[in-house]
Amino acid sequence: MKPLRIALTKGRLEKDTVALFEKIGYDCTAVSKKGRKLILPIGEHRFEVVLAKAADVITYVEHGVCDLGVVGKDTIMENGRSFYEVLDLGFGKCRFALAGPKGKDFFSGYSAKTIATKYPNVARGYFESRGMDVRVIKIEGSVELAPLLGLSDAIVDIVETGTTLKENGLEVIETICDISARLIVNAASLKLRKKEIETLVEQMEQAKEGAV
Amino acid sequence: MKRYSKITPEGTNDLLFEECQARRYVEKTLADVFAAHGFHEVVTPGLEFYDVFNPSVSGIGQEVMYKMTDHHGRIVVMRPDSTMPIGRLTATRLQNQPRPIRLFYTQPIYRSNPGLTGRSDETVQTGIELLGAQGKRADLEVIATAVEALEKCVPDFRLELGHAGFFRAVAAQLPVSDDVREDLRRVIEAKDYAALNRILDGLENTPSVQAMRRLPRLFGGEEVFDEAASLCSDPASAKPIAYLHQLYQSLSLTGLGQRMIVDLGLVQRNDYYTNIVFSAYVQEFGDAVLLGGRYDTLLDYFGLPMPAVGFAVNVDALAKIMLRRGQIPAEPQTDILVHGDGGFEMKALRHVSNLVAQGFRCETSVFETREQAREYAVLRGMGRIDYVGDTVETKVLKD
Repeated sequence: MKPLRIALTKGRLEKDTVALFEKIGYDCTAVSKKGRKLILPIGEHRFEVVLAKAADVITYVEHGVCDLGVVGKDTIMENGRSFYEVLDLGFGKCRFALAGPKGKDFFSGYSAKTIATKYPNVARGYFESRGMDVRVIKIEGSVELAPLLGLSDAIVDIVETGTTLKENGLEVIETICDISARLIVNAASLKLRKKEIETLVEQMEQAKEGAV
Repeated sequence: MKRYSKITPEGTNDLLFEECQARRYVEKTLADVFAAHGFHEVVTPGLEFYDVFNPSVSGIGQEVMYKMTDHHGRIVVMRPDSTMPIGRLTATRLQNQPRPIRLFYTQPIYRSNPGLTGRSDETVQTGIELLGAQGKRADLEVIATAVEALEKCVPDFRLELGHAGFFRAVAAQLPVSDDVREDLRRVIEAKDYAALNRILDGLENTPSVQAMRRLPRLFGGEEVFDEAASLCSDPASAKPIAYLHQLYQSLSLTGLGQRMIVDLGLVQRNDYYTNIVFSAYVQEFGDAVLLGGRYDTLLDYFGLPMPAVGFAVNVDALAKIMLRRGQIPAEPQTDILVHGDGGFEMKALRHVSNLVAQGFRCETSVFETREQAREYAVLRGMGRIDYVGDTVETKVLKD
């Protein structure tokens, strides 16, 4: 049988997932001591790990070249979904929020507001669901700059502790939704390799429960 | 500068030689099966009015349809699906036909996908629709035809069965708004257990809520039916399960056995499916290669209510898989090159016609000299060259 291939989002989610695998009892030395290899066998070759950027994890899983993936809910919300999202892994927690200059009532007035964000789809979806017309501007770097420079009225961004906002005279106006890491599965893989995938999902779920 | 004069739009591609061969092979193999079962071929226009695909009926989002206007300013779209036009055609042109009506089609559909995802905007589909027939016999016939068709192409496929009525029955018992019901459908479709639990945690823990919680996990083999039955004993949700179980057992007799999966969480799909839904998967393809189901209310939209069931096969996917597996017969090579000497061009053409009539594949030489013609024949790997002058000389170039 071919090993199940799992795409992990590089960085913190990768480390947290590897910790979870090790807790289940899978040998992950290939990942912790990776050289330049891109496909890494773990758990006595029952699985293969691929390390990728967040949005690429979704692409690989959607196309079925990876069976499973670990990716943040933020990336899922921004990039759409045609896969199964089977497990909230509970780590990588933060939230999407609308934030603006402190003390200013964002919803007052009738002129259309401008929103700066790294997540245009999330921002658009949020305001569409509120029936509000806004102008969305995509910013690649520190989004907090945009309201400070007068480019936008507010921002939609990921907020973890809120320290950056505070230090720049911004505050959360509204939480849009909570975010955490998710285990996603390709639709065809789940149908064709149900047993193996379900076993892994159950193991991860149990290991995760034990962690709390 | 003509920047776009040498490339094709994203999501489209040319098919060359063996790729064409593969597509035609799949089309013909499947069409032969459909025709042998008494289905009649139809072709619907590539352009249709937007209204035919009304998103609230078709479940096809307006953002995925390629739209333009005709010279009266009316919105037309490039066909994004074949079942809706066949519903239209049946309701408007086949009113007085004896029923059931058996139709099949092979034609591309067009959908605008987000850029840079590697998906095709143009996909050739072939499928059947059995209209004006209700019940188990019709459902079995259509699924059995799907099985027979796929077995000729990718015999290792897995067939998945579901029932849209089960989710509807359970959801109807929950004290929630239609919006929340749609949210539930969406998260069950995505098997998003976390979001599903968040929605259900706010409700009183009734048997329906417990059943809904289990719904995305209700997939697997025959044991699923027992679990579903133990979760819901009310007649409304027990009926679809009992029916699906019957179908499952009947289909087991065809030797599908282990290759059948049941998924009661199969609630995705176009909104027009009312009853059984089914799909097929193959190892090499990350998505379903066949999708189908019963759509008993779709024809209402076109003013001639009648029950119907059908499916569509992704021809491009099957062609690609079969080509990679080396199951497509190679295109036959040209057997003979015919070269006419100066003044014997017409005689050479007649000679070609004679050879073709005998069943050979022939090319006519466009070269001035015998040497050039011979060189070309060798380059193309042809086995024989015939020089036509006063007499016809045959030279064998290889065995």
